[in-house]
Amino acid sequence: MLKLEKLTRKFGENIAVGNATIEIPDGQMVGIIGRSGAGKSTLLRLLNRLIDPSEGQILFGDTDIAQLSGKELRAWRSDCAMIFQQFNLVGRLDVITNVLTGRLHTIPTWRSMAQVFTPRERAFAIQALDRLGMAHTALQKAETLSGGQQQRVAIARALAQEPKILLADEPIASLDPMNAKIVMDALRDINKQDGITVICNLHTLDTARQYCDRIIGMQDGRIVFDGTPDLLTTAMAREIYGAEAHEAFNEAATSTSIPAAQPVRELA
Amino acid sequence: MSDIIMMGGSAGATGDAPHDAVHAFERHRAELRASKRVWNILLLAGFAICLGLSIYISQFYPDRLASGVPRIFEYFGTIIPDLQWDLLFEGRTEEGRAVPGSLTYWYTDFWDYVGLIFETILMAITATLLGTFFAFILSFSASANLAPSRWAYWISRRVFELSRGIPEILLALVFVFMIGIGPLAGVLAIAIHTTGALGKLFSEVNENASSRPIEGITAVGGTWAEKMAYGVVPQVAPNFFSYAMLRFEINVRASSIIGFVGAGGIGQELNRVISFYSDDRVLAVLILVVLTVTVIDLISERIRHGFIGKENF
Ligand SMILES: Nc1ncnc2c1ncn2[C@@H]1O[C@H](COP(=O)(O)OP(=O)(O)O)[C@@H](O)[C@H]1O
Ligand SMILES: [Mg+2]
Repeated sequence: MLKLEKLTRKFGENIAVGNATIEIPDGQMVGIIGRSGAGKSTLLRLLNRLIDPSEGQILFGDTDIAQLSGKELRAWRSDCAMIFQQFNLVGRLDVITNVLTGRLHTIPTWRSMAQVFTPRERAFAIQALDRLGMAHTALQKAETLSGGQQQRVAIARALAQEPKILLADEPIASLDPMNAKIVMDALRDINKQDGITVICNLHTLDTARQYCDRIIGMQDGRIVFDGTPDLLTTAMAREIYGAEAHEAFNEAATSTSIPAAQPVRELA
Repeated sequence: MSDIIMMGGSAGATGDAPHDAVHAFERHRAELRASKRVWNILLLAGFAICLGLSIYISQFYPDRLASGVPRIFEYFGTIIPDLQWDLLFEGRTEEGRAVPGSLTYWYTDFWDYVGLIFETILMAITATLLGTFFAFILSFSASANLAPSRWAYWISRRVFELSRGIPEILLALVFVFMIGIGPLAGVLAIAIHTTGALGKLFSEVNENASSRPIEGITAVGGTWAEKMAYGVVPQVAPNFFSYAMLRFEINVRASSIIGFVGAGGIGQELNRVISFYSDDRVLAVLILVVLTVTVIDLISERIRHGFIGKENF
């Protein structure tokens, strides 16, 4: 169980995330929606401590994640994998090494510095890649892959971490609908088969409705909606997206549904 | 001049609005040019003053040059070997003496020179390797975007500044006093200078590295060292290599000079023949030095370009 207590992050006067209080049971698939600047990325980055909170608590079990530092913080990050909109792979390293970096936390320093990996570790990484249909690219440089392929490698790297939680910050925002669907399906499989909690920032509404057990809506740093997809009314969604409603409801733009999913058509 | 027809906007509504914009622009442009002209004149005056001062201080006058040039030729006269065509390829006599006028006579100490040039190149290689190593290690904490802490940044920056600020030849002098005459003093001096010079370049390359891969390694729970090794090094390695090779070329030149203060290599021999004999041996050594430097430059350039081509950046 992941529990946020009055979690707040300010940038100067600007409150990027304010007083966020949520409980996320293990194994849930959560979608966070909101217009850009609503604080979605900040919330996710707070969770694996790429940024530090200004106030509040992040409880996982009995540990307050907000207080961790040094070795314990790195252990938490390794338990709480993250994938990014721009993939954040090391382009000049080959795919398998990128995936193996997911295991850095379990590898002694001298071996990680010398880039020495055991056959077992390599096998583990290849299996992770294979799950995403990317094993054949293992020895290619990551930068030679297409966006969709890179995101699948990034998911394999996350899997190699054997995480308890998987965070995804707009994982499909720079992908075409075809690749977006592959990536979202992979995230759902990981959630359903491995029981890993998935928390995913999404820009388009229909994707959130289609894939997530629960939707959290954010507006100006505050959580303004929290519930199952069917509880999210059109009026509420319009309110959350504001001026971006048109784009967010337009399934043709960056959504995963080819053809369009039913609920979205009702909205539009 | 006919009016330019404006497309759309409010141009049609008020007849002289576009004229105002044009006039305002022209006035602004004239002002800008005028102020630029003042600056240009000031710069030119400043340059002229500097030039005049430097001519005065170095006494760079035509008559001095005119009287100096013949003396250069005079000196060349003394170091040019007295070669004779018919004896050019004459070997040694039965008693093992070289015949005056032959190449063998001119290059009596050829194998000594070759040995020294070999030593010079080894000095350059060792100094470049040492310097590159320390520049590499310190360059990450000397980069504003990567430094683990403020004081690590400050210290590594100062180390680089200090080690490239002191001239090599001065360092070599100090080392010759400390550890005695010989190549070790030269290697240390050049290595320290290389650390400073490469360190600055390396940390600038680091500062241009993309933060995305680094963030990726942070997010998997990597330590600072792992972030550098996996997130930064793959991005910067080709540039580092290229700069190190360039530095190697410079260091070959430096290590053939540094011997003048007793720090080993061919420079030591060059200094000896200039101060003791000042005869054709000076030219013999000079030719070998110039040849070595040129050949090394060509080879290293080949390698660098081949490498860059492969990494295509
Ligand atoms: N590093 C930062 N420095 C200053 N302000 C930031 C920073 N990161 C985010 N913000 C601000 O925090 C708010 C939320 O941003 P973000 O979490 O990126 O929104 P979203 O991901 O929903 O588009 C925005 O107003 C943004 O300008
Ligand atoms: Mg964002």
